[in-house]
Amino acid sequence: MSISASVLNFDLKKTAVSNRLKGLWRMMSGFRWHYLGATLSLGVAALAKTSTYLLLSYFVDHYFGNGTRPVALPLIALGFVGLAMVEGGFSFLSGRLTAQTAEGITRRLRNYLFDHIQHLTYTYHDKTQTGELIQRCTSDVDAVRRFFADQAIGVGRIILLFTINFVAILNLHPRLGLVSIIAVPFVVVTSAFFFRRVSKAYQAFQEQDAILTTTLQENLSGVRVVKAFARQAFEKEKFERENWEKFLRGKKLTRMHSLFWPASDILCGAQLMVGYIVGALMVIHGEITIGTFLAYLGLVGWIIWPMRNLGRLIVQTSTGMVSFGRVSDIIKQEREPLDEGETLPAADLRGELTFENVGFHYEEGSPVLQEISFHCRPGQAVALLGSTGSGKTTLVNLLPRFYEYTSGRILLDGVELKRYSRRYLRQQIGIVEQEPFLFSRTIKENITYGVGRDVPQAEIEAAAKAAAIHDVILAFPDGYDTLVGEKGVTLSGGQKQRVAIARTLLKNPRILILDDSTSSVDTETEAEIRDALDTLMRNRTTFIIAHRIQSIMNADLILVLDKGRVVQRGVHEELVAQDGIYRQIYEIQTRIEAELEKEITNAS
Amino acid sequence: MPPDYTEEEEFEAKYTGKTFRRIVGLLRPHWKMVLSFLALIAVVSGIDALFTYLSKLIIDRGIMAGDTSELYRLLSYYGGMIVLQAIFVFGFIYAVGVLGERVRYDLRQKMFNHLQDLSLSYYSRTPVGWIMARVTSDSDRVSDLVSWGILDLVWATTNILTSVGFMFYINWRLALIVMLMVPIVTFVAIEFRRRILKQFRVVRKINSKITGSYNENITGVRVVKALVREEENAKEFAELTGDMYKAAYRAAWLSALFLPSVQLIAAVALGTIAWYGGWQAGLGGVTVGGIQAFISYVTFMMWPIQDAARIFAEMQHAIASAERIFSLTDAVPEVADRENAIDPGTIQGDIEFEHVTFYYEDNIPVLKDFNLKVKRGETIALVGPTGGGKSTIVNLACRFYEPKEGVIRIGGTDYTQFTLHAIQSRIGVVLQTPHLFSGSVRENIRYGRLDATDAEIEEAAKLAGAHDFIIKFDKGYDEPVGEGGNNLSVGQKQLISLTRAILARPEIFVMDEATSSVDTLTEALIQRGMERLMQGRTSFVIAHRLSTIKRASRILVIEDGQIAEMGTHQELLRLRGKYYTLYTRQFRHQMEEVLDPFAGAAESAPVPAD
Repeated sequence: MSISASVLNFDLKKTAVSNRLKGLWRMMSGFRWHYLGATLSLGVAALAKTSTYLLLSYFVDHYFGNGTRPVALPLIALGFVGLAMVEGGFSFLSGRLTAQTAEGITRRLRNYLFDHIQHLTYTYHDKTQTGELIQRCTSDVDAVRRFFADQAIGVGRIILLFTINFVAILNLHPRLGLVSIIAVPFVVVTSAFFFRRVSKAYQAFQEQDAILTTTLQENLSGVRVVKAFARQAFEKEKFERENWEKFLRGKKLTRMHSLFWPASDILCGAQLMVGYIVGALMVIHGEITIGTFLAYLGLVGWIIWPMRNLGRLIVQTSTGMVSFGRVSDIIKQEREPLDEGETLPAADLRGELTFENVGFHYEEGSPVLQEISFHCRPGQAVALLGSTGSGKTTLVNLLPRFYEYTSGRILLDGVELKRYSRRYLRQQIGIVEQEPFLFSRTIKENITYGVGRDVPQAEIEAAAKAAAIHDVILAFPDGYDTLVGEKGVTLSGGQKQRVAIARTLLKNPRILILDDSTSSVDTETEAEIRDALDTLMRNRTTFIIAHRIQSIMNADLILVLDKGRVVQRGVHEELVAQDGIYRQIYEIQTRIEAELEKEITNAS
Repeated sequence: MPPDYTEEEEFEAKYTGKTFRRIVGLLRPHWKMVLSFLALIAVVSGIDALFTYLSKLIIDRGIMAGDTSELYRLLSYYGGMIVLQAIFVFGFIYAVGVLGERVRYDLRQKMFNHLQDLSLSYYSRTPVGWIMARVTSDSDRVSDLVSWGILDLVWATTNILTSVGFMFYINWRLALIVMLMVPIVTFVAIEFRRRILKQFRVVRKINSKITGSYNENITGVRVVKALVREEENAKEFAELTGDMYKAAYRAAWLSALFLPSVQLIAAVALGTIAWYGGWQAGLGGVTVGGIQAFISYVTFMMWPIQDAARIFAEMQHAIASAERIFSLTDAVPEVADRENAIDPGTIQGDIEFEHVTFYYEDNIPVLKDFNLKVKRGETIALVGPTGGGKSTIVNLACRFYEPKEGVIRIGGTDYTQFTLHAIQSRIGVVLQTPHLFSGSVRENIRYGRLDATDAEIEEAAKLAGAHDFIIKFDKGYDEPVGEGGNNLSVGQKQLISLTRAILARPEIFVMDEATSSVDTLTEALIQRGMERLMQGRTSFVIAHRLSTIKRASRILVIEDGQIAEMGTHQELLRLRGKYYTLYTRQFRHQMEEVLDPFAGAAESAPVPAD
C-alpha cells in the first residue's frame, strides 16, 4: 500500500485546466491502474452475482423439474458459497483499490495545497480571506475525495450492473430483456429531477440553519447586552421565529423525500410487475423454464433498483465538480519562487543598503512608495517614522522580497536585491513584530521555529535570557514545553514579542526589522523589551518602524515618511533643529510635561 | 472549539436508563404522530414480507400449476399492494421526518429559552462554543434518535419477526437452519461496526488536526515566509496526511470487508437451503416458490441485522448528546427572582453597598467587605488596575451577580426584593466592546426601547451624535450593520450602543469605557453623548478617559477588591498617592495620542482634559 515518491510528488499544477473532467483525469495520475482495477473487480463481482442467479436457475430446473441431475446437491450448495466468495472477494478488492485511489489522491492534493499556499505571494494573501481558503482546503477537498471514493465508482458500478445483468437476461430470452428496461429511463429521469430539487431545498434549509446559528451565536456573545436591557422575551421571540422557519424548511425537505421514494417505488414496482406477467405467461406456455423465470426475477432487480441511485449520484457528481473547480482556482495561482536568483555570495553579508529612487505600487497609478533614496552602512540603525498608511511597513517588506519594488533599485552590499534569492534574503533578515504571531506549539518549538537546525537546550535558554523571557517561561506549568495558544497558556503582547526576540536571536540575522509602531501601556515590560531589543540590535543593520520618538532617538538615520515619500531625513539632533513634523512630535513631549505641571498646580 | 472525543466517551455509560426515559419523554407532546408512524412502519414491513409470500403463491399456484386465472388474480393483488405500499411509505417517511424536525425545534427552543434565564455566572464558566454545540449538533443527534433511530429499530424488529414468521410457516426445518445464522451475523456485524467506528473516530481526529494546520499556516503565512519554514512545515504536514491516509484507508477497507462478510454468511445459509431443499424436493417437502421465498427472506433479513449494530452505536452517541443537553436545561440560574419579588415602579434613589463580599467560582474573594454609599444623581468613576474589582462592582450594581455576603440597597431596600426585570429594564449599560446584532441600525437602536417610534430613535441618535454618520449611509437608518456589527467602525459601534442606552431612558447608567482609541471627532461625540446620559442619573463608569474621570462626582481607586483612595479629582491629586501616579501616566499617554501630528489636525485638536 505504500505509494512511491514520484506519485506523491506529481505536480498538480497540470490539473488546473479549463476542462474539469480533464483536470480530474490528470488528478488521477499514478492511480489510474488502481482505479481501473477497482472497476474491473466490480465487474467480476457483478458477474459472480449474476452467476448465482444462473446457478439458482440450474438448481431449480434440475431438482424441482423432471430433468436429470448431473450435478450433485452438495456441489451446488458449494457453488453458491463459492460464488459468494468470489463476489465478496472482488468487491472487497474493489473497495480497497478505490480507497487507495481516493485517499491517495486526497493525500497528494492536501499536501500540494498546503505547500502551494505557503508559497503564494504576499499580495495573494493580502487579498484572500483566510476562512475562504481553509474552506476550500477542507470541505472542497473532501468533496473531491467523495467524487473518487463514492460517486465516480458508484456510477461505474451501476453501469456495470446494468450491462452485465441486461446481457444475461437477453441471453435467457430476448423478449424478457427488452421488457425489463422499459422503466429504466423513467426512473433515472425521476431521480435526477428529484435530487436536483432536493439539493435546492437542502440549500435553503442550510441557509436557514446558518441564520439560526448566527442568531444563537450573537445572543450568546451578547448575553450581557440582552440582560442589561432585560430583552430575554424579545430574544426568545426572535429565535423562535428563525427556529420555526427552519422547521418549515425542514418539513419541506422531508416532503420531497417522502414523495420521491414511493414514487420511484411505484415505477420500479410496475417494471417488476410487467416482467412478472410476461415471464409467468412464458413459463406457462413452456417458452422458458421455471428456473429461467426465477433467475430473471433476481437479475431484473439488479437492473432496476440501482437505477434509483443513479440520479442522486449524477447530481452529487456535479457538486463534486464544482468543488474541484474551486480547488483548481487556488492551484492556478502562481507560486513565488524561493530560489530564483543568482548564486549566494561567497562571504557573509555585511548589511550595507542603498535605496535608489525606489517606488512601489500594487496597482498602476496608485503608488504606495515613491522616490525613496537613502544609504546605510553595515550595523547602522534606520528609523522609519510616519502615520499608518505612510508606507513604512511596505518599505521594510521590500527587503525580504515579500513585495517586488516596481521602480528604482535597492542594492544590498552593492548587489541588486533582485539578484539574491528570496530564500537567502529571508534567512539573512529577522523580523520582530509588535504582537508577533505564535504557533500552537510549545514555547521551545516557537523559539526554535525557522532556525532550521537542532538547537541545544542551553542555547535556547541563553536566547530566552537575553530576550528577558526566561523567567516568565519557567513560571509556566511545563516550562519550555508549555503549549502556546488555545490549548495552553495565553501570552501577553509583550511576552509574545520577547519570544519573537529570542527566536530572532537564535536565527542570528544580518539585517533586522523591528516593528515598534504602537506603544505598550505597561511601563515595566516596556523597559524589559527595550533592553532585549538593544541586545538584539547590536552589530546588525536594523530598520525600526516607529510611531514615537523615544525609541528612535539614537538611530543613525531617521526617515520621516508621509504618503509614501520621505519628507524629512537625518539624525535626531539635525531633525530637532529643523522645522517639521519631527520637531512637532518632539515638542509635544515637552508640552505634555508642562501641561501636566499646570494641571497639578491647578488642583492643589 | 472541537469537542474532545475522549471526553465524550466518558459521558456515555452513566445514567443511561434515566436519560433514555427523558428522551422518550420528549415525544410525549407528539404522541399522536409517534403512534401513527409506528403503526405505519409496522404495516410497511408487514407488507414487505407479504410481497415475498405472494411471490411464492404466484410461482406455486399460478405458474407451476399453470393456472392463468389464478395468476392474474394474484398479480392484481400484487399490483394493488405496490400502490398501497407506496402510500404507506410516503406516510411514514413524512411522519418520521416531520416528527424529527419538530423535536429538533422543541429542543432548540427549550435550550434557548432556558439560556436566556441563566445567570452570567453560567456564561463565565461555559464557553460559547460548548453551548453552541449543544443547541446545534446535539439537538440534531437526539432528534435523529427519536425519529429515524426509532424507525430503524422498529423496522428492523418487525422485518425480522415477520420474515421469521413466514419462514416458519413455509417450512420450519429450513427456518431453523436460517435461525442458526442469525447470531453469527449479529456477532460479526457488531465486531465490524465497533472497529469501523473506532477507525472513523481516528480519522475525524486527524482531520481536525489537518484543518488546524491549514488554519495556522495560512494565518501565520507571513511568519512562515519570513523564517523560511516552508520545507519543514510541508514535511510535518505530509506526516499528518500520511497518518490520515493510513487511518482513512483502514476505515475504508474495513467497511469494504464488512458487507461481503455478511453476504458470505448469507450464502452459506443459501447453500444449506439449496442442499436441504433439493433433497426435500425429491420427497415433495419444498416447492419452487418456497425456495424462492426463502432466498428472498434470508437476503432481506441480513440488512436489518447488520444495520442493528450501527443503530445501537448511534443510540449511544445520541444518549451522550442528550445528557449534555439535559445538563444545560437542568442548570439553575444563580440570580433569579425571589418569591414575592416586586416591581417598585422606579429604582431611583441612593445605592448602598453594605459589607459586600463577592467571589467567582474559585472562592478567591474579588470584593472583601466592600462598603459604598452612592447618592442619587452622583457619577462614580472607578479606576485602578485590571482585576482589581471594578467590573465586579458594576456587575453587582446591575445585579448580573448578587453579593455572597452583605447587602446592596436601592432607595433603602435590599435589591433582591425587587424583580430582576424591575432593575435591569431601568439600567442603561454601555459595554467596553459594543455588541450589535445583525440587522439594521434602526433595529439595533430600538433594542433599547422596543416601542420607540422612528422619531424617538432619531432624537436619541442626535443626542448621542450618531445621527450625522447614520444618514450618510446608503440606506440611512436601514443600513445593515453586518454580523456582530462588522460593517461599522469601532467608533460607530460605540456611538450606536450609546444611542441605544439613551433611548432606553435608564434611571441608572453604567458604562465600561472603551480603551481602544477612536479618531478625535468620534471621541468628542462619545464624550458629549455620555455627558447627556449621565445628567441627573446615578452613574457608574469604569473610566479610562481623563475627561470622564475629572467630571465624576467621586473617583474610586479600586485595588484588590477594596477602595484604596476616594475623593474628587482635586482632592486625590493633592494626595499624591495612587491616583496621582495613575493620572500622570494616563495623562502623558493620552496627550501623546491627542497631539500626534500623524493623526492629522494636530495643532487644532482640542485637549479633552479641559
